[in-house]
Amino acid sequence: MSFKEELGKKLLFFDGAMGTMLQAQGLQSGELPEIWNVTKEEQIYDIHKQYLDAGCDIVKANTFGVNPFKMKGTGYTCEELTQKGVCIARRAIEASGRKAYVALDIGSLGKLLEPLGDLPFEEAYEAFRPMCIAGQEAGADLCLIETMNDTYEIKAAVLAAKENTDLPVVVTMVFDEDGKLLTGADMEAAVAMLEGLRVDALGLNCGFGPDVMCKFLPRLREVSSLPIVLNPNAGLPVVVDGKTSFHVGPEEFSGIMKEIALEGVSLMGGCCGTTPAHIRALVEACREIPAMTLTDKQRSVVSSYTHAVGLDECPKVIGERINPTGKSRFKQALRENDLEYIFKEALAQQDKGAHILDVNVGLPEIDEVKMMREVITGLQGITDLPLQIDTSDPVAMETAMRLYNGKPLLNSVNGKQESMDAVFPLAAKYGGMIVCLTLDENGIPQMAKGRIEIAEKIIAEAAKYGIGKKNLLIDTLTMTISTGQENAAITLDALHHVRHVLGVHTTLGVSNISFGLPQRELVNTAFFTVALSKGLSAGIINPNSEAMMAAYHAYCALNGSDCQCADYIARYSGQDGQPKAAKSGEISLFDAVVRGLSESAYQAAKKELAVKKPLEVIDGELIPALDKVGQGFEKKTVFLPQLLMSADAAKAGFDAIKEYLKAEGDESASKGTIVIATVKGDIHDIGKNIVKVLLENYGFHVIDLGKDVSPELVVQAARDNQVKLVGLSALMTTTVANMEATIKLLKQELPACKVMVGGAVLTQTYADMIGADFYSKDAMGSVRYANDLFGG
Amino acid sequence: MIEEAAAELEQKSIPKSIYQEYDCEVSESHVKLGSLEVESRNLAVNLRGCERAVLLAATIGRAADFMIKKYSVSNMAKAAVVQAAGAACIESYVDEVEAAIREEAGGRGLYLRPRFSPGYGDFSLEYQRDIFQMLECSKRIGVMLTEGNLMMPSKSVTAVIGLTTKERESCHMERCSLCDKTDCEFRTQNTSAGGERDEF
Repeated sequence: MSFKEELGKKLLFFDGAMGTMLQAQGLQSGELPEIWNVTKEEQIYDIHKQYLDAGCDIVKANTFGVNPFKMKGTGYTCEELTQKGVCIARRAIEASGRKAYVALDIGSLGKLLEPLGDLPFEEAYEAFRPMCIAGQEAGADLCLIETMNDTYEIKAAVLAAKENTDLPVVVTMVFDEDGKLLTGADMEAAVAMLEGLRVDALGLNCGFGPDVMCKFLPRLREVSSLPIVLNPNAGLPVVVDGKTSFHVGPEEFSGIMKEIALEGVSLMGGCCGTTPAHIRALVEACREIPAMTLTDKQRSVVSSYTHAVGLDECPKVIGERINPTGKSRFKQALRENDLEYIFKEALAQQDKGAHILDVNVGLPEIDEVKMMREVITGLQGITDLPLQIDTSDPVAMETAMRLYNGKPLLNSVNGKQESMDAVFPLAAKYGGMIVCLTLDENGIPQMAKGRIEIAEKIIAEAAKYGIGKKNLLIDTLTMTISTGQENAAITLDALHHVRHVLGVHTTLGVSNISFGLPQRELVNTAFFTVALSKGLSAGIINPNSEAMMAAYHAYCALNGSDCQCADYIARYSGQDGQPKAAKSGEISLFDAVVRGLSESAYQAAKKELAVKKPLEVIDGELIPALDKVGQGFEKKTVFLPQLLMSADAAKAGFDAIKEYLKAEGDESASKGTIVIATVKGDIHDIGKNIVKVLLENYGFHVIDLGKDVSPELVVQAARDNQVKLVGLSALMTTTVANMEATIKLLKQELPACKVMVGGAVLTQTYADMIGADFYSKDAMGSVRYANDLFGG
Repeated sequence: MIEEAAAELEQKSIPKSIYQEYDCEVSESHVKLGSLEVESRNLAVNLRGCERAVLLAATIGRAADFMIKKYSVSNMAKAAVVQAAGAACIESYVDEVEAAIREEAGGRGLYLRPRFSPGYGDFSLEYQRDIFQMLECSKRIGVMLTEGNLMMPSKSVTAVIGLTTKERESCHMERCSLCDKTDCEFRTQNTSAGGERDEF
């Protein structure tokens, strides 16, 4: 029998700690244990042997720390240490005469992935790949991805294992006291992603002893349908005199583990501090206990990098705003690569209460795959809502699914064979819930019956890929009642049948119902409420519409999913019947900017534009107001947040002016273009971002290259945009060298281009030394310099 | 806004720390800490006379970085507030950890020197690599290093704290006096700097 055949059928035992054993044999802190695979092979062999004698079924090869980052400069390759590690374990098994499996042990890379860190997802994947290949070739029976605390890194490792080997994959993670990973992900989110990726077993290791770890198990059993692994430490680490030790002995350890085994678990063993004695006691205590019974929990969930969103009795809101259809401003943002506009749309919908965000960035004239990659990556840096990947391009869909840190919602598949052939394999590989449109080669059926038949066809086809009903979300298609009043009933009848007879979740693009009618919101809200009562699981709506969200909250109060109407009351109490409080007196644009009131500034600017020329508004109100705040900042009577709030208010004023100019057919409000970047090697960018906001609000067009930017990229951007000013930021002494290199290359390639610099470590002296034209000690300084240079 | 940002940060932050004590040998410009050899005159001055020293790493977690990213898009003023609050948060958390070390050391008749971090003076950031390996920072507290030896999450601190038997030598010397940046705005205000500052 193979590992996969045995898994889940009987309780299997992992071995215990390797590191603890090696330290006892003289491994120094800081020394890489995997090098012993070559230098002290017999000692590693002996440890495996001891664990096998103690009765374990799975030996973890000594490969936990093998990765290109840690091996750099050691003179060893990942491949050889992996190969060696697996072979030693194999040899120990053969010598023991026992039947046991070798786990290729894969640990964390010790680097933080983007968007927070500097390691791109695909590089993490590449880092895991060679050891997966070497491990399989050397004869490993399974991949154990362990001691993980970041779902994104886990995803890279799982894909590396699955795409390059056919080994079963087991994942164990370290949760903290609150049941969360270091990334903030809860257990449900991690499980949703891992089940989507179709790992073979999952569970917990390290961090705690069995006494603490057992508290997480009820929750884990509730949300996971997979075999569960438990590899705890021998208690909490205790540091005495620089040495780490663990105090839970074999007897206590096995005693608690036995209780846990009786409640249900599939694999158990030990992590830090456990020894062959612990494993021997564990095997003796639990040998006769059967493995937990596996049941499909039938949970319909999607997840983000922090949390899962389940489709259940409480309907969900999918925000529809990230979509260019019918929105000229959004199309413009896509054409101009204005990601910030898109990100703002995301945050606005989150603030209004959306649970999931639809992401559609397709336009015929842009590279959708590239845009999808950038938007999905960027969105995951700013919002923790699960995303719905909305595209008809299978390449864009796969790109997004690969980069998505969680279990996404896919929008969409339909009853056409071609569509199902493209989408289902992706969902089977990466995981995800899928929106299924009830149309096929023959178009959209005119009757509910036809749509139900297509739904049944899709459900049957999905099953061939092992995709169950729980992962489908059927869309019975909303058609406008302005072309046929029976449309609403057809959609709703089909929806009701799908939800209550077929037992599958449902979704609708709600607002299509009113296309071609006046006051669409009136019809939309009514239709939304009716659809919810017919069994709509998740409505794709505009969360910025207060009426739609009110209909949603009222419905949840009515159907009981909002327990004791608590959410409804919290939202709407104190608003009874009162018209919205009128803004107390109107204020001038100047005052609005000084006081940092964005909305007032926008309105005031619009008013002024009715009577004044745009330039008069800028020079007469906006700039003097900003100057006043700026001077206050320099005199330290105004602080940075106030300065920034004023900047935002000024930006709102500028937006009003830009809109006006655009309506007039003139778009030349910019005072000039400036390229800014944080230099290579440096990842701090808040200072640079503050400068960006201020420059923009003084009317400059700013091209922001981001952080960790190479000299070549800076020069290229400066050349392509023919700018006469570049701003560079560096925080660390060590990266000032890169700033110098960037300036040097700029001066060489584009002698006319001026360079201003700033950042915590810089001084006027430093700035002079590295050849900068201007040193700005704060954000206002850069504005002043830019104004002088551009003659503003 | 400040209260709001601070409350959100407090709610989402996950502070974690790890420290270990080592034997310490100090010469003119060289320090040996366990198996770690450091060339740094400033660190040597700071640890002079200490036979033991503590290596410390602490973080408030990733929430601050995520919040800064988020608010940089929607509300730059709030991003700046989170940045400042995060810096204050990690400073005060490290103070707490240091207090625990002080109490424990006090029981053994040892006093603490002011903490000294890689990047201060001539104590090169390169040593972050070694410190990270010795303390197993990525595994134990989830702090990683970038290619340029910067810590992520950014609101993290590593430091060396000397342990001395002589109380009068433990006085908290002004950290600005150790810094090469003589025209810094903060110097005149006698404000001590933490693990990072990044005003443009």
